[in-house]
Amino acid sequence: MPADHKPDRSSAAAVSVVNLHKRYGDIEAVSGVGFEVGAGRIFGLLGPNGAGKTTTLECVLGLRRPDGGSIHIHGFDLRTQAIQAKLLVGAQLQAATLQDKITPRQALDLFGSFYPQSFSSDELLGRFDLEAKADAFFATLSGGQRQRLFLALALVNRPALLVLDEPTAGLDPQARRKLRALIREIQAEGRTVLLSTHDLEEAGQLCDQIAILDGGRIIAVAPPAELIARARTPARVIVRTTPPLASTVVDALPGVIGAAYGAGGWILDTRAPNRLLADLVRRADEAGAELLDVQFHQPSLEDVFIELTGRPWSGGSEPGEAS
Amino acid sequence: MRAAPQLIGWSRHFLLTIHLNFLNPQAIVYGYLVPIIFLLAFAGVFRADSPPLLAQMGQIMTITILGGACFGLPTALVAEREQGVWRRYRLLPIPTLWLVFSAMLARVLLVASSVLVQIILARAIFGTPFPDHPGAAALAFLVVTAAFLGMGILIAALADNVPAVQALGQCIFLPMILIGGVGVPLAVLPFWAQRIAGFMPGRYAVEVLQPCFNAPNGLHENGFRFAALVVIGLAAGVCGVRLFRWEAGPRTNPARWWVAAALASWAAVGAIAWETGRLKPVLPEAAAWSNITEAQIAEIGFNGLPADNDIVAPLGPPSLDPSTKELAGKLASWPPGKLDDSGQSIRNLVSIAAIADLCADPREAQMARLAFRQIQNRFEPAIARQALAWIILNPDDGQAMTRAPELGLFRHPPERLVRQRSVIYAEKYLGRLLGKIPD
Repeated sequence: MPADHKPDRSSAAAVSVVNLHKRYGDIEAVSGVGFEVGAGRIFGLLGPNGAGKTTTLECVLGLRRPDGGSIHIHGFDLRTQAIQAKLLVGAQLQAATLQDKITPRQALDLFGSFYPQSFSSDELLGRFDLEAKADAFFATLSGGQRQRLFLALALVNRPALLVLDEPTAGLDPQARRKLRALIREIQAEGRTVLLSTHDLEEAGQLCDQIAILDGGRIIAVAPPAELIARARTPARVIVRTTPPLASTVVDALPGVIGAAYGAGGWILDTRAPNRLLADLVRRADEAGAELLDVQFHQPSLEDVFIELTGRPWSGGSEPGEAS
Repeated sequence: MRAAPQLIGWSRHFLLTIHLNFLNPQAIVYGYLVPIIFLLAFAGVFRADSPPLLAQMGQIMTITILGGACFGLPTALVAEREQGVWRRYRLLPIPTLWLVFSAMLARVLLVASSVLVQIILARAIFGTPFPDHPGAAALAFLVVTAAFLGMGILIAALADNVPAVQALGQCIFLPMILIGGVGVPLAVLPFWAQRIAGFMPGRYAVEVLQPCFNAPNGLHENGFRFAALVVIGLAAGVCGVRLFRWEAGPRTNPARWWVAAALASWAAVGAIAWETGRLKPVLPEAAAWSNITEAQIAEIGFNGLPADNDIVAPLGPPSLDPSTKELAGKLASWPPGKLDDSGQSIRNLVSIAAIADLCADPREAQMARLAFRQIQNRFEPAIARQALAWIILNPDDGQAMTRAPELGLFRHPPERLVRQRSVIYAEKYLGRLLGKIPD
């Protein structure tokens, strides 16, 4: 089996973006974006409509020429060493399908043939569960099969870096879960993954590190858990009992910084959820109230975004971009 | 030794482009069926020619190449661009222009196969001979195809979507078919259209392809035409490459000046051709009148002709009035009566008699006599007989003059009437030359 495309400069970061700028006419789509992705990590660009995620990825892939800044892929400068960099990169793009009458096998054979090392089409068809559709026309594939084929195409050159633009967009929940599992497998092989997403749940579950983009700028970079931990939004406990707890009981609970009664239960905000939950059970028991339902909500990436931007999360795709 | 991966990938892309073409029903219809329909249509229109279609193979091939280059290539490229296929190609470790070149080369092969089908069918169905100069034909085919593919790349760069390819392609295709000497033979077109055709590559394409079939010297003395095609194709190709887009959607880069540069090459070629005297009127094949046989002449009857002193087609007596001396001098040096093509010269002289008659010119009878005298004096009797018989038997052939202000004929009757009246005069002249009508 041929070896993967190994970067010669193992010490370099998989991706290094410094002070990236890109304008479309009067609109500055990306303004001073910079980040570094360590080898073997999954790095997510998270942002709402028009945040600049796809533009940033397209600059990293060499599809768009930046107006300023620099991009290095495993130490190769994209401006001067584009071919060396391209050998190390596989990509799954938005708004890039295939000819209607090409088959998955033909597509994999075609794209793989441009590289000195590549997976065989049979290996990839098996791995991505496309054997049954190997010789079917592309136009007959389902959405999930197409996305798996695109992922297989991204992997065909045994890349050190995989760039995925909204990889699960438009898929049903089952296909989405399957694709996420494949992405984790790819990471487990030691490949670096740089992806963009507007799906907060996906970013939180998949990524080792997240850069939140807004208005063409990065407003925060950290692992998801760290971002959530930094949030000032309190945790929330919703508790329903029979009979309902008296307000005097609720007032005596430790760590509660806000309490309101509604929808048949108490809504309690706290920065000390462990203590609150432990005490809540005990006091309900003492008051002779039976617990019917307890819901616990930690702050989410959405809360983090709202805190950072002062705006609600809009999700969706970037204007002028494919999704 | 294993070939470089880029070369393997390039070859695979080339083969896949051809393979996908044959899976596309539209490509089969436009690439093979339509050219066959054109072949059959030409055979129907020119069914009297012998050998059949031989004189039209240059036109037929040019139409096929033009269709493949101006519609086939850009349609495929723009459709793939709209699907995002070229965006994906941009990620490959190979200059994307290599893949454009691969698509062009595949198109050369596809068009060549279509042209071969036409040549073989023409031979099988109509007995059209194969090219006299196959090597020259292959060379001419490659140059013409390369030139038109340059235009195809420009169309692909300009068109935002597949329907726009059709619109832009027709802007090039239709004028060349109608007045560019590609669909309608140059010799049948009026002089103004022939001159305009000199500014279009289609005329030069036909003129380099046709001699490969039936000219004794093949491609000799075709340097200018080859150069014209190379210049026009190169200009369009360079502009097309400069404007080429990998992204779907509306064009964002300004194209006006590049399009102007590509069209300037057409204008430059036409202007040079004009200045160097290459846009002389093209007349119908001399064979059209020189092939008239004595047997055909003998079959012509002279009954029912109007009398020489009738209102219709009057003809003055052999003894001319001295006042016509000046007019005789003008007619003797009149350029359209002294062309290299004797048949057309005689037709022009007969036209003068017809125009004068139709305009009711006071000198109509003398004009007719002077024209006959020029024919008698200046041409061999056999040639004069053939040319006059040609006018009688093929009234719509050749060019028909409709005015001659330099001879004092300022009005211009309709061409149809001039041709009809020319037939009567030609009969009167031929009857006299054969001694069947007393003079």
